[in-house]
Amino acid sequence: MKKEDSTQGTRYGMVIDLDTCTGCGVCSVACASENNVSVLYDESDKTRNITWMQIYMVTNGKGFPKTEVGYIPRPCMQCDNPPCVPVCPPTATRRDPNTGIVSQIYTRCIGCRYCMAACPYHARSFNWFDPSFPEGMDRYLSPEVSPRMRGVVEKCSFCHHRLMRAKAKAYADGRRDLKEDEYIPACVEACPTKAITFGDLNNPKHTVYALIKSPDAFRLLERLDTEPKVYYRSTKDWVRRMADNYLAGEFKGRG
Amino acid sequence: MEFSRRNFIKFAVGGLGGTLLSPLPWKLMDDIAIWTQNWSWVPVPAKGKFSTISSVCTLCSGACGIQVRKVGNRAVMIEGSNEYPVNQGGICPLGMAGLQILYNEGIRWKAPVKRVGPRGSKRWKEISWAEAIGELATRIKGLRDTGSPEKLAAIDGNQSRSTMALLVKRLLDAVGSPNYMVMPREEDTFAMATFLMQGGKGPTAFDLENSDFIVSFGCGLFDGWGAPGRMLSAWGEWARSRNKTSIIQIDPRASNTASKADQWLAPFPGTEAALALGIAHVIIKERLYNREFIQNHTLGFTDWFDAQGIKHKGFSRIVLEKYSPQNVAGITGIGRSIITEVARKFASAKAPIALAGRGKGSLPGSLYESMAVHALNALTGRVNRKGGVLIPDDLPLASWSDVEYDPVAMAGLTKERVDRAGTPRYPFTGSLIQKFTEAINSGHDSPIDTLLLCSANPAHTIPDSQNFIDAMAKIPFIVSFSPFMDETSMMADLILPDHTHLEKMVDIVWPTGIQYPLYALSQPVVPPLYRTKHSGDVIISLAKGIGGAVAGSFQWAHFEEALKARVRGLYDSGKGRITHNESEPVWKGLATGGSVSSPYSSFKTMWEDIKEHGCWYIPFHSFGNWSDVFHTQSKKFEFFSTKIEMALKAYSKEKSLDDAISQLGIGSRGDEVYMPHYEEIRSSANEKEYPLLLHPVELINLASGWIGNPPFLNKTLFDHQLRKDDLFVELNPRTASRYGLKEGSKAIVSSPKGELRVRVHLFDGAMPDVIFIPVGLGHTAYDKYLKGKGVNPHEIIDPVEDPLSGQPVWWNTRVKVARI
Amino acid sequence: MDLALIPNGVQRCSLKAFVPWLLLWLLIVAWGLLSAFLVLFKGLNQTNMNHYFAFGLWIVFDLSVIALGAGAFFTGFLTYIIGKEELTAIINAAVVIGFICYSAAIAMLGIDIGQPLRGWFIFWHANVHSMLTEVSFCITVYLGVLTIEYLPLILSNRKLNEVREFNIFGSNLHHAVALFAAAGTFLSFFHQGSLGGMFGVLFARPFAFREGFSIWPWTFFLFILSSIAAGPSFTLLCVWIVQKVTGKELVKRSVFTMLAKISGWLLATYVILKIVDTISWVYGVVPRAGLSFMDFYEGTYGVWLIIAEIGIFGIIPAIILITPRLRERNGLLITGALMNITGIVLNRFVFTIQTLAVPVMPFDKFMSYFPTWQEWGIAIGSIGYGILVFSLSYRYLPLFPQEAELNPVTVLGKAVTDSGVVKRG
Repeated sequence: MKKEDSTQGTRYGMVIDLDTCTGCGVCSVACASENNVSVLYDESDKTRNITWMQIYMVTNGKGFPKTEVGYIPRPCMQCDNPPCVPVCPPTATRRDPNTGIVSQIYTRCIGCRYCMAACPYHARSFNWFDPSFPEGMDRYLSPEVSPRMRGVVEKCSFCHHRLMRAKAKAYADGRRDLKEDEYIPACVEACPTKAITFGDLNNPKHTVYALIKSPDAFRLLERLDTEPKVYYRSTKDWVRRMADNYLAGEFKGRG
Repeated sequence: MEFSRRNFIKFAVGGLGGTLLSPLPWKLMDDIAIWTQNWSWVPVPAKGKFSTISSVCTLCSGACGIQVRKVGNRAVMIEGSNEYPVNQGGICPLGMAGLQILYNEGIRWKAPVKRVGPRGSKRWKEISWAEAIGELATRIKGLRDTGSPEKLAAIDGNQSRSTMALLVKRLLDAVGSPNYMVMPREEDTFAMATFLMQGGKGPTAFDLENSDFIVSFGCGLFDGWGAPGRMLSAWGEWARSRNKTSIIQIDPRASNTASKADQWLAPFPGTEAALALGIAHVIIKERLYNREFIQNHTLGFTDWFDAQGIKHKGFSRIVLEKYSPQNVAGITGIGRSIITEVARKFASAKAPIALAGRGKGSLPGSLYESMAVHALNALTGRVNRKGGVLIPDDLPLASWSDVEYDPVAMAGLTKERVDRAGTPRYPFTGSLIQKFTEAINSGHDSPIDTLLLCSANPAHTIPDSQNFIDAMAKIPFIVSFSPFMDETSMMADLILPDHTHLEKMVDIVWPTGIQYPLYALSQPVVPPLYRTKHSGDVIISLAKGIGGAVAGSFQWAHFEEALKARVRGLYDSGKGRITHNESEPVWKGLATGGSVSSPYSSFKTMWEDIKEHGCWYIPFHSFGNWSDVFHTQSKKFEFFSTKIEMALKAYSKEKSLDDAISQLGIGSRGDEVYMPHYEEIRSSANEKEYPLLLHPVELINLASGWIGNPPFLNKTLFDHQLRKDDLFVELNPRTASRYGLKEGSKAIVSSPKGELRVRVHLFDGAMPDVIFIPVGLGHTAYDKYLKGKGVNPHEIIDPVEDPLSGQPVWWNTRVKVARI
Repeated sequence: MDLALIPNGVQRCSLKAFVPWLLLWLLIVAWGLLSAFLVLFKGLNQTNMNHYFAFGLWIVFDLSVIALGAGAFFTGFLTYIIGKEELTAIINAAVVIGFICYSAAIAMLGIDIGQPLRGWFIFWHANVHSMLTEVSFCITVYLGVLTIEYLPLILSNRKLNEVREFNIFGSNLHHAVALFAAAGTFLSFFHQGSLGGMFGVLFARPFAFREGFSIWPWTFFLFILSSIAAGPSFTLLCVWIVQKVTGKELVKRSVFTMLAKISGWLLATYVILKIVDTISWVYGVVPRAGLSFMDFYEGTYGVWLIIAEIGIFGIIPAIILITPRLRERNGLLITGALMNITGIVLNRFVFTIQTLAVPVMPFDKFMSYFPTWQEWGIAIGSIGYGILVFSLSYRYLPLFPQEAELNPVTVLGKAVTDSGVVKRG
C-alpha cells in the first residue's frame, strides 16, 4: 500500500502540549457535545462507550512522594499512512488527499470492524448499541453532524463539518484559502489551557509547522510508520518514553 | 394445466429464476440498505438558523463567560468566551456539559409540585404557581401570626454577594427570622482569616497571574479551585512562559496540580499550618521578611505591650520558639532542608503568594490554618502588592431601600440563631449548617417549622450528610427551589422549581478569587423549557403574598427590576468597563493605574451592554497602599488579632478564660490563641480501631456541588475511578498490601458514622495510610445515569469542629478498611 | 417411510432412529437461530466483543472452518487436476463438508457485521486494497462453485433423479466438474491466502504484521499452506467419524492413508516455514516495533500458546502423519489428524484474538475476552447445522461410491440388487 504523498497540499494536524495539559477533560466533553456522541447508561465501560477524544492517564512510575501523573489526550491520529483505510472493504473510510483528514462514512460502513483491528491507537469506536441520549437530550443535537446508527464504526473527524463551515464562509467572502484560525476542531478551541495547536502542517506560516520541527515534538507509535498528523510535545523524558515502545537502551532521553 | 409435482417444481424454479432476473430483488436490497441509513429511532437533529448568544456560566461562582451556539430555538453547543475577562476562553468540563443539565428531562422538575404521599414516597401532584406560592405564603403568614417568624429558615447555596442571595436573606429579614444559612465554602474561611488579621469584609482577591511564585497549601489550582476557567487559562499562560511562575503544591496526593507544579510537598493532612509556620520560621530567622511592612504596618510581630501594659509575645518569638524546621519536620513529615529551601525561594521571589485551601474550595477550610498561610503573605509584604493578596474596594452596587421591619419581624430577629453562628460561641462565623442540623436533631421538636432550600443540595453535599437527612425528617415543612430532582428536593413537601442556569438572568458579584472588581450577569440562552419560574420572581411574589411590611420590602415587579436597582449603582459610579479585548488581559494592565470612566450616557444603554457582554469591571488597582487599607482596631495588619481578643473577652464573661478557650475548641494557650498557629485537630475515633485517614478528593471532571454530574463527565472518568456502579478509592500500594488489597479489590471503608462499599485502585501518588475518595457520586436521586453510581463519602465523614470557626473538618475522618 | 429416497444398494438406519438424531441437532441449531435472532434484532451488544476485541469467536470460527473446508477444493484439485483417482472415494464427502463450512462461514459473517443489510456494499463499493474484500468476493463465488458441485450430488438422489430435466442437468454438470474444480482451486488459493493476508497487512499491529512478497505478506502463503495441510485431515476425520457413527466402512483404508500422507507432508512443510516465519518475526518486525518477544504474551494468552500451536500441535502431528509406520495405526492416524486440525485452529485463534489482546501503546492494557452464550450459540449452532446437512446428505445421497461395495446389503442372506427394494415385515 503506497503511502500518500505528504509533502503536497494541505495537511491538517495538531500539536498537543502534554506539559500544559492538565487532563481536565474539557476537550473530550467539547468533542462529545460538538459531534453528537451518544451517551451510554454505563459510561464506565471504556471498551464499549464512545469517546472520540479519549484521555489516557499515565504516571512516571515512581513511588510516593515522587509520583507524577500526566495525561495523553488521544483524538484520531489522522495518519498520513492510515492502517485503517486500506483494510475497509466497502471504502467507508478514506484519507482526503486535499486535507489529509481520514473520513468515515457512517451510512456506508457495514460494521465489520476490520479498521478497528488495524488501528493501534483505539481511535475508532463501534456502536454496540443504538445511539442513546438521556431523555430530552436529543434537543441539543447539532444538525451539522449526523448521529450514528447502531452497528457502524465512528471516530474523530477533526470536526470536518467545521472545515466545511469555514470554507463556505470563505467562499462567500470570495476567498479561496482559509486563515490559520478559521478552521479549528472543537477540542482545540475548547482547551482552557490552550494546550492544543491546530493548522496546516505543510504551511510554513502556521504555528504547527514550526512546532512539529521542535526536538520536543513526537508522535505516538512513530516506529509503526503510520505517520500520524497528531503530534505531542513534552520536555519530560518519562512522558516521551510513553509514546512508543523501546528496547533496552534504545530510548535516548533529552536529559 | 395439470397440477403435478413436476409442474410445480418447474414453476418454482422458473419463478425463482424469473424473480432473480427482474429488478425486484435488487431494488429491495437497495431499499433495505437505505432503510438502515434512516432508522427512525436514530434522532435526526432539526435544522434551523444558526446563531450565537453570549452569557455567563453560573453553575459555580467562578462566572466564566460563555458563547452558546443555537440552531433555531435550541442550544447545541457551549464554548468559553474569548471576550470575557474572567476566563479568557477557557471553561471547565462541567460548564462545557451545561446543555446536559438544561435538557436532561429525567432530572428536572417541570412544574411546581406538592407532595401527596408520605415523605420519600415520590408521589407528587402538579399544582399551579399561584397555588404553590399561595400555600407557602399562608404557611409563613401563619408563623408570623403565631409570633414565631424565626421558625422559618433558609439554606442558600447562591453566591453570598449575588442578588439572589441578598433577596433570600431579605425575605428572612422582612419575615423576621435570623435563620438564614449559607452553604459553607473555603472562601468564607479565608475571608474570616483576613477579617481577623486585616479587618474588612471585602472579597478575597488573589493576583495570581502577576505572581512569580505560588505556594498552594492544598488548593487544587488546576483541579477546579476558584474560577476554574480563569485558573486553567492562567496555567496555560504559565506553562507557555516556562518557569516565569513557579508553583509549589502542598497536597497529600499526586493531584493534577501537584503534578503540574514545579515542586510537590506532601505533609500529613491537617498539618499544613505547621508547615506554613515552619516556612515563616526560616523567613524570620534569616531576616528575609519585608521590613518596611512588618515594622510600620503590622501589630504583634515582635513582643509588645498593650494598653493595659501587659506584655504579649510577638508572632516572631512564638514562631522562632515553636516552629523550627526540625519541629515542623516532625509534625508534617516534610524534611528540614526542604522547608528551609522553600522558605528561601518564597522570600526571594519577586512576587510570591501563599494560598490556603483544599481541593476546589467548595467546602469550608480551617481558620487558624488560613491565618498561618496568610501570615506568609504578610511576612513578605505581599498584602495589596502586585501578584499578592489584594485588598480591593468593593463593587459600587447600589443598596436597596431598607427592609421594613414590623414588630413581629423585629421580635423574631432578636431571637438567637438556631446554629448560634455570630453569637459569642461562634463569633466570626456567618452560618453553621452543621450546628443547625445538630440543634434540630438534639431537641424533641424542631426549632424550625419551614425550611427553604435555594441552589443547594445539602442532603448530598455536606459532610456527615445523614445528620442533615435526619434533621430534614424532623422539619415539618420543607420547600425546595431546586430545578433538579436532587436528594434534598426529593424530601421536600413543596417544590417551586427554578429555571436552570441557561434559562435565567442572575448575577455573580465578584467571582471567586478574581483580583479586580467584576460584576457578572447571565442572560437566558433559551426560553424556559418547562413550567418553571425564576426563584427571584417567586420570592418577590411570595413576599407580596405574605403581605404587610414583608410585601413593603419587596416593591419590585420582578427579579430583573430588583437586580437592575443594584446595577444602577455601577452606572452611578461613572466608572467601569464592559467590553473586553482578548489580547489585553485585565491582569496585565492592572498596575498601570488610572481610572476608567464609563462611556454611557444613560443607564438603559449601559444595562443593554452589560446584558450583552455579561460583565462590568474596573481594570485597575492601586497597589502598594498599606496605610489605610487595614480596618482593624490598630489600623494595621494584625499578627495578634484584637478581634479574637475581644471575642474571647465577651465569651469569657461568665467563665474563666481557659474554659472559654477550651470551649471554642482551641487547644493552645496564651498569646498563640490570638495568632496564626498550628492546632492539631484530632478526630474522636480510636486510632487503633480506625488506623487510616479518609481524604475526600475533588476532581475537576466530577461535579461535587449541588449540580449532579452530567453524563458527558461520566465519560471522562477513568475506569479506575468508576466501573459499573463501583467507586474506586485510591490507596498507596504499600498500605493496600498490608490489608491484602489488590488493584480492583472490593473493600469496605468504615468510620464511626457508617461504611462504604468501594473498590481499590492502587496509586503510587497516594500518601500511605490515607484513603483518597472522589466526592460527587453516590447519588440516591437524579436519573439512572447518575443514581446509584458510586458512593458518597459525606455519608461516613465524621467531622470535628474547626477551632474558633466551628466549621466541620472534613479531611481527617479516621477509618478502617477491610477486604470483602 | 423414506425408503424411496435412500440410495440403492445401501442400508440406512430406521427413521425412528434417524429422527431423534435429527432432533438433537435441530435443538442445537435452534440455539444458534435464537442467538442469531437476538444479535440481529438487538445488535452486537449481545456478544462480548468490544472496541479491543473487534473480532471474536465468530471470526476465529470463520477462519477455522474455512481452513478446514479447504479439503473440498484440495481434494477436487488432487482428484481432477492431478488425477489421484483413489480420492474419488471421498470427493463427494469433501464437497459436502466444504459446502457446510463455507455456507456456515458466510452466514456467520453476515451476523458478525454490524450492518448485515448493507453487507452487499462490500461488492458495490469494493475497496480492492482490502484483503477482506478479496475474501468476501472469493468465498461468495466459491460457495457458488461448491453449490454447483453439490447440486449434481443432490440431483442424483433416487427420487429427484427420476425427473428427466434434473437427470440431464445433473449429468451435464458432472461433465464440467473438472472445470469447477479448477475454478474452486483458483478461488480458494486466493481467499485462504487473503484470510492470512488480512492479519499480515496490519502493519500497526506488530503481533500480526509480516513482511512478504509483493503485496502479499508471508501469512498469505502460510494460510494457504496450513489450510491445505489441515483440509485433508479434516475430511479424513469427518469420514472416520461417519464410519464410527454408522458402524460401516465407507472408504478404503488406502484412501485414509493417502489423505494422511498428503496432509502430513504439507503440514511438515508448513511447520518448517512457520518456524522460519516466527524466527524472522522475532528478529525483524518485533524489535523494529521496539518490542521483545515476551511483550506479546501475558496472562491467559501466555507463551504456552505458541508452544502448543507450533510444537505440540504442529511438529508432533506432522511426524505422525509423514511416518508410514505411525499413520498405519488407526489410533495414531486419527490422533495425528486431530492434532493437525487443532494446531491450525489455534493458529487462527492466535491471529484473531491475540493480535487484538496485545496492547500496542505502552500505556494501554493487555485485554482478555470470553464469548457470551449467544456467541457460542451461533458457533455451536453452525456445527449442528453441519451435522444436520451431512446426516441428510449421507442418508439420501450416494455420498460414498465405495460404500455399496464395502457393505453388501444382505436380506435373508441374499444380496439385494440395484432395483430391489427391501420391505419390512
